[in-house]
Amino acid sequence: MKLAELQAAFQSAVLSGAGKDPTVLASLTKPAARERATGFGVYVKAYRLRVAEYLEEDFPALKTLLGDKRFEELVVDYVAGNPSRTRNARYFSARLPDFMQESDKWRGEAQAQGVARLERALSDAFDATDGDACALETLAAHAPQDWPRLVFAFHPSLRLLSLPAGTVELYEALSSEGAAPRPELSDGGEAAAVWRSGFDPAYRALGTDEFLALNEALAGKSFGVICQLVAFQQDEASAPERLAQFLVNWFSDGLVVALGEGDDGEGLAAP
Amino acid sequence: MEPLPRLGYGLGLRPAYYEEILSSRPPVDWFEIISENYMIPGGRPLAMLERFRSDYPIVMHGVSMSIASVDPLDMDYLSALKRLVDRVEPAWVSDHLAWTGVHGVNLHDLLPIPLTREALDHVVDRISRVQDYLGRRILIENASTYVAFAQSEMTEWEFLGEMARRAECLLLLDVNNVFVSSFNHGFSAEDYIDAVPVERVAQLHMAGHTDKGSYRIDTHDQPVCESVWKLFERVRKRFGPVAAMIERDDNFPPFSELLAELQRMREIDAAILDGSERSAA
Repeated sequence: MKLAELQAAFQSAVLSGAGKDPTVLASLTKPAARERATGFGVYVKAYRLRVAEYLEEDFPALKTLLGDKRFEELVVDYVAGNPSRTRNARYFSARLPDFMQESDKWRGEAQAQGVARLERALSDAFDATDGDACALETLAAHAPQDWPRLVFAFHPSLRLLSLPAGTVELYEALSSEGAAPRPELSDGGEAAAVWRSGFDPAYRALGTDEFLALNEALAGKSFGVICQLVAFQQDEASAPERLAQFLVNWFSDGLVVALGEGDDGEGLAAP
Repeated sequence: MEPLPRLGYGLGLRPAYYEEILSSRPPVDWFEIISENYMIPGGRPLAMLERFRSDYPIVMHGVSMSIASVDPLDMDYLSALKRLVDRVEPAWVSDHLAWTGVHGVNLHDLLPIPLTREALDHVVDRISRVQDYLGRRILIENASTYVAFAQSEMTEWEFLGEMARRAECLLLLDVNNVFVSSFNHGFSAEDYIDAVPVERVAQLHMAGHTDKGSYRIDTHDQPVCESVWKLFERVRKRFGPVAAMIERDDNFPPFSELLAELQRMREIDAAILDGSERSAA
């Protein structure tokens, strides 16, 4: 058998779990102390154990939510349809949330999907590209009358997630060491920000107006434009105070890595 | 061939020991990293690596080059590896005589090859191309194997020697892997050691494995066993004081246990040196 045929047969049997694949076994010599299938079985079993371990490491809260048996079912389903195509085991689980969304069997599990999406984003934040967060004093260097022209660059790890309502609270309950009560998810959705603060992944739920503001800021809109948009879409009277607080939060959370002044009219959308 | 530096006694750098290494500055001469664990955009692993490399020589050991795969060389992988090499400036770079997948799939395992002339030609060509791309010689390690192929035309040590000669690469001799494979396939570990070309071996791995009764698995989750220590003595007498290290990847013991294994290496070396000085006198 040519090397290419042998490797194709070997891999196919490992992926399908065929520890007694006749083509592969016929290509092997029988060691003195054991059967050929025992030796080949080491590779077949190792593959399953290894990829299951990657998923367990990346989704501990999801495993707690589903329980051992159902999590194992999810692992089997995911592994069956998603052989790893990455050289780095770290990225093997990247498609799990999308897989759940696309799968007839797992699509209905809104809670589980939300938790999976949040955990995956936390893993991505852990080793995302570095960025040096600006201190709050950076903001003070800009005169208040210039604030409407401020534009922001955010930490490369920052991701905004749209999740089922209550996902963040549920994740916290699942991750707590004690037996914290699990909140019931209500209808609708919630937003969350995930990023890395120092070396540690961080997250928090976002109100609708802050989600909107951060989304626009990430798109490069100036603070003045963001204020107008939020005032238009939300409670106009309380918008200025809330936006000022958002700005402070973004700095104290370490989200902002650069601050500049753009044109007054940048990105302005007529209300 | 210009010899590589003799680094001394090293350990695998693992996150479980980051803090202890930084705080205690242990008597370890160098550290080996798993390359793929640092082929990431940023964050704690790369920041910690920067700190370690300012204090210790680093060598890079990969698990995904898939040098024996029939797939085309993965240039995205090699390009990321080269970027890490440029950043880390390791004493050397190594990977395994193995394949990890075909058709774009990665099984995250070190898979065995038939020891045929076809496989040898294939591997030699790929090592040469990787060395040209990286602009440096690489070390190739013998992997533990659990199956042997009926079509093999030579022993593993013959394959390794011929591969190293033709590809002009160096060898990372894993003493535990020699022992595990010798047990699994019923060949003599001593014959293996005695046949590997001395001038090609630039690094040694020592590790523990799991005894499953009728076979053994290379798990790196146990202390080095007595049979492998015995083999180590033979290896040292043949290959001299090339860089040697302990690999531990699971069931992590207190760091002091790994230091004790390094100390045992030093004592074995001292006894060999002492013995050779006595016989010279």
